[in-house]
Amino acid sequence: MISDKRFMKTLKLWRTFKEGIENFRRNGWLTFATVSILTFSLFIVSLSLLIGMTTSLILENMRAKVSVSVSFNPDVTEERILEIKNELSKYTKEITSVEYVSRDKALETFLAESGNDPVIAQAIQEIGENPLLASLVIKAVRPEDYPLIVSQIENSTFQNDISRINYAKNKKIFERLDRINKTVGKAGLILGAIFIFVSILITFNTIRITIYSHRQEFEIMRLVGASNIYVRMPFVFEGALYGLVAAVLTLGFLFGMAYYFAPFTTGALPQGNVLNLFLGSFWPIFGALILLGISLGVVSSAIAIRRYLKV
Amino acid sequence: MPAIQPIIRFENVAKTFPGDVTVLEGVNLSIQPGEFISIVGASGAGKSTLLKLIYAEETPTEGEIYFSGRPLSHISRKHLPFFRRNIGTVFQDFKLLPERTAFENVAYALEVDGRSTADINLEVPEILEIVGLGAQMHQFPRQLSGGEQQRVSLARALIHRPKVIIADEPTGNLDPVSANEIIQLLLQINSFGTTVLLATHNKGIVDKLDKRVILINKGRIFHDQNKGKYMLQ
Repeated sequence: MISDKRFMKTLKLWRTFKEGIENFRRNGWLTFATVSILTFSLFIVSLSLLIGMTTSLILENMRAKVSVSVSFNPDVTEERILEIKNELSKYTKEITSVEYVSRDKALETFLAESGNDPVIAQAIQEIGENPLLASLVIKAVRPEDYPLIVSQIENSTFQNDISRINYAKNKKIFERLDRINKTVGKAGLILGAIFIFVSILITFNTIRITIYSHRQEFEIMRLVGASNIYVRMPFVFEGALYGLVAAVLTLGFLFGMAYYFAPFTTGALPQGNVLNLFLGSFWPIFGALILLGISLGVVSSAIAIRRYLKV
Repeated sequence: MPAIQPIIRFENVAKTFPGDVTVLEGVNLSIQPGEFISIVGASGAGKSTLLKLIYAEETPTEGEIYFSGRPLSHISRKHLPFFRRNIGTVFQDFKLLPERTAFENVAYALEVDGRSTADINLEVPEILEIVGLGAQMHQFPRQLSGGEQQRVSLARALIHRPKVIIADEPTGNLDPVSANEIIQLLLQINSFGTTVLLATHNKGIVDKLDKRVILINKGRIFHDQNKGKYMLQ
């Protein structure tokens, strides 16, 4: 008997679902308009999220590459520098690594980075001695600790041994990226909210029109003993369908977008590029979009049903 | 004689619409199972409202209506659809779904009840056969005559095997021959034990029926006669 009841319920649900599909199909260009605006809204929301995600990943990636380089005066001996290195290495809470770069090593790297340009090599030879300084390359545990580490070093017992500390250069790039990240996030949120609001209104209106075109049927449904839920369910399914189709379309557009922008972001992300980032989190994005799309559709139809379908 | 529980009972029922329009007043009425009752009266006398009160499309402003001894005011909105399956309704304008065939229109009443497709395929042709539409089963309402459409509507009303059939001017849009066929069908249904309530203007039909007649005038029961005739006040 219980399984009988469950069977009946499933059957009724299936029938109302078919009815919902029928509404979706019959609405023609109204369906097109509704799906379009829903897709557009979902696209705006997910795009701003994706841009936000990408910029914060780029930031993080850059932060990982960032270090502070402390250069020592030429008269400071290697023993002294290594002593300082040992001293700094004790601060394991703040500092991940301290690497010693000798003058020879620095020159070697410099020449390699300049592409072994013979002009540069000759210029250095003319100076007669290695113009570069020995340095310690320090990596912090947390990027935000750099200013603190820098100021600690500036005020340390070995402050007189230091020629210069280069950190300020990176700071500006950071601040700019951080600003972009925050602006994009804010703009996306506001724009997304506006579009979501508009798409709820439009979906609501579409369902309202469907309800209106079916208005004579409700009386008949009631007379033959259709329950309220049976009368309402098709419209809920109709709304859900708009959202579902919009979510799938959005996913397609996002893929296209990521595919197009992949070459421009190569190397900037730990994942390689945006396409890899997109494909790497495809299922979470897919799930979130479908969920958001369906919720938008269902909320819109729920409002329409509440206002226009008095059973 | 042992008292049989009336299937429908009105107890001091009044219905007032907003704007202080009184449509029914002081209605006391008892209908036994298996009766065939004609409800007559001028347009606007309150016939339709009386019927609507029975299938709970309207609620009385005063008094109480009992269905099989159960007060209708105690039925929750949620259970109303289930209650309505006890009552089959037929109207002057047929109220068929235009985009569904005769078969689908009748099937619809079973679909909403969650009945299986196998059941539907078995029961719908049977009932359409009873009302004489076996051959036109897959035609759309627009392809059927008025009388045929009304028979589809009657088939739909019967599909739940209701205890009561309420027919509000079922012959109002029909030619005399079709009208007579519908009345014959109602009589046939009644002979199987279903209570039939027929609201009509048609004097010829009422007089020929020779059954109980209730005359409503200005919202009150004016006459209530067994084996009555249609008479205007």
